[in-house]
Amino acid sequence: MLLRSRGGQPSGPPGYGLSLFYGGRLPAFRCGPRYGRSAPTRGVDSTLGRSRSDLVWFIGKRLLLLIPLIIGVTAIAFILIRIAFPDPCVIWVGGHAKSSAIAACRAAFGLNQPIVAQYFIYLKQFLAGNWGVSPGGIPVATSIAEYFPATLELVITALLLIVLVGIPIGVIAAQSSGRWPDHLVRIFYLGGWATPTYLGAIVAVIFVAPYLGLPTSGMYSHSPPPFPQPTHLSVIDALLAGNLPYAGNALLHLLLPAATLALLNMGIVTRMTRSSMLAVLPLDYVKSARMKGLSEFLVTYKHALRTALISTTTVLGITVAGLLSGTVVVEEVFAWPGLGQFAYDAITSSNVPGTVGAAIIFTIGAVAANLLADILYGVLDPKVEWR
Amino acid sequence: MTDAPVLVVDDLSVDYEVAAGRFHALSNVSFEMLPGRVTGIVGETGCGKSTLAHAIPGLLPSPPARIRSGKVVFQGTDLTALPRWKLPTVRGTGIGMVFQEPLNSLNPAYRVFDQVAEAIRVRRLREKGAVRARSGGGPFDYSRGPATTPTSTIGRPFLPGGPVEERMRSPPVRSPEIRTEVLEALRLVRINDPETILRLYPHELSGGMRQRIMIAQTLAERPSLLIADEPTSALDVTIQAQVLTLMKELIDEIRTSILFISHDLGVIAEMADDVGVMYAGRVIEFGPVASVFEHPRHPYTRALLRAAPDRSKADGPLESIPGSVPSLARLPGGCAFHPRCVYARPNCGENPGPSLRPVDPADPLGHRSACWYAAEIP
Repeated sequence: MLLRSRGGQPSGPPGYGLSLFYGGRLPAFRCGPRYGRSAPTRGVDSTLGRSRSDLVWFIGKRLLLLIPLIIGVTAIAFILIRIAFPDPCVIWVGGHAKSSAIAACRAAFGLNQPIVAQYFIYLKQFLAGNWGVSPGGIPVATSIAEYFPATLELVITALLLIVLVGIPIGVIAAQSSGRWPDHLVRIFYLGGWATPTYLGAIVAVIFVAPYLGLPTSGMYSHSPPPFPQPTHLSVIDALLAGNLPYAGNALLHLLLPAATLALLNMGIVTRMTRSSMLAVLPLDYVKSARMKGLSEFLVTYKHALRTALISTTTVLGITVAGLLSGTVVVEEVFAWPGLGQFAYDAITSSNVPGTVGAAIIFTIGAVAANLLADILYGVLDPKVEWR
Repeated sequence: MTDAPVLVVDDLSVDYEVAAGRFHALSNVSFEMLPGRVTGIVGETGCGKSTLAHAIPGLLPSPPARIRSGKVVFQGTDLTALPRWKLPTVRGTGIGMVFQEPLNSLNPAYRVFDQVAEAIRVRRLREKGAVRARSGGGPFDYSRGPATTPTSTIGRPFLPGGPVEERMRSPPVRSPEIRTEVLEALRLVRINDPETILRLYPHELSGGMRQRIMIAQTLAERPSLLIADEPTSALDVTIQAQVLTLMKELIDEIRTSILFISHDLGVIAEMADDVGVMYAGRVIEFGPVASVFEHPRHPYTRALLRAAPDRSKADGPLESIPGSVPSLARLPGGCAFHPRCVYARPNCGENPGPSLRPVDPADPLGHRSACWYAAEIP
């Protein structure tokens, strides 16, 4: 039905006629923000800036992306291990067993099916919590639940050391670019980056540990500790039990493996921090921060590093992946009862379910770390839209 | 104006030492700024204007730049002699600066509010123990004349926490008091909807808007000296006009001392009270704008003014200055301009070159020129 106004003329759609010229607020001096990224039809006040609900959506979208990613990477991990152990039944049943026994074993474990079907069977069981049983009779899920927290503790401590040491030395290198502190830092991180993990770990045990008087084996000097281990995080467990001497002891045991892991993986973080600080330091907004009257410390760490960190976060995910793979060797050398040691033992004892389980947990860990880095990047860089 | 000058630049020489050689970016620059006056610095690209602007608050990056001689005396303190860690105490509330590139001069990672609030917080921390009597008037009451930096704050760098008493003096960043001041600061630069703007990040704003915020942030600290280093050169022509109008209005409102740097003679003529003309790293003429622009007493100033387009003149080719600007690595001896000067005489190339001398010996702080034959310029 056509509405008619008093003049007898059909009224157009609202906001069309005169409002085309009068509708917007157009004061003389309004040179407003650029609405480049959002549709100009949206209201000014509601869409500018990023809101908390946008952040939830941003994180949610990335979490959804995690599902196909995990299916993909775990498939690759599963297939690679199947290639490494083409027929575990031969190992399990024994080389001299009857072929009928081997065939029965294959049928029992579903090994006569195509590898893709095997993967989906495994995935189904994995999701149901049935991760297979190690030859020793212990369920893989139980072992991983026990070993993984120790690895987590090691990796998080190493990451903390990288952030607290690797980033500041990158800043110092950028500030003294071309002078001796810069060269010293470069030798430090390139040396760490170029050293193979096994070599670095062994050097730490043989040469560094006795010099510093640090323990090199296990989580506590006296294992098992006289208190329950609900979290399997050595320091946390001791603190929960209120046993401070044990907590200190656990911290000392944690220090050297974590420092070794951190030092060997610090390279990209330091380098990235240095190069992005070099790009940021001569910019005008660093000068204008200085001209505000801020101390050099605030200029560097509140203004310059804040933007330089945006590019550093992109490599943090890669670094965590490096730390996770480094644990396999470092945990073995330092007798750290973590997932790396479990994986090493599983591989050397042809424990296929254990190997697959550990590999998949490592993969998920690396993917999750990259996801976190991705989210952190989006939070740190205001130019990333949360839509 | 018989007050003591707010800034005295005395015989300042700055070199850039790079692999290609040593560049004399500034040679024996001397001038003084009286409180409440706008001093323009004009010159071609590469004549040392920006170096001068950066040298005053000690912003020059130290490995390539080296202060060869001279002093920068700000409110009685020689900034070149001040240890590096004390410089922050002079910046902000003492000397504020607006940069050429508005696109880069705000930190992309912080919202407008946080950046302006930070400046206000620095000022509030310094105001502790200030001699300024504050009664009546809004937060932006400049009618009492330019603010003075309380000498007690010199030598006390602004550190994250500061002593407890100082922290108690300055309200936290999120307090309504600071918010009101931020809104005031944004309104001062004619931003119509500051409530919206302060939530935005710099990349969501246009170049002109960012320059306004930069100006707001700098003025929020109420500096005794404001250095504006070509604040409009990087903007579109229409926005340039808006920002210039704004600055002109602000000059009348805040009555602080301003060092206004530009390559645009017209802008300087409109904004400044005094003008210094720079050539090849030297100030070759200095004096009140009207006197310098109407009766230039240096051949370079005269040639520069004749080269500027003038609508009142008939069409025809613009005049140009013969030759080209000398390299700062190999300056000619004597007067740096003599190879291009139509009035040059044989002794113009002899060392030492002329320094600024009053045109009228009776007025030593008036119109000055660095030409041996200043009196003979037609």
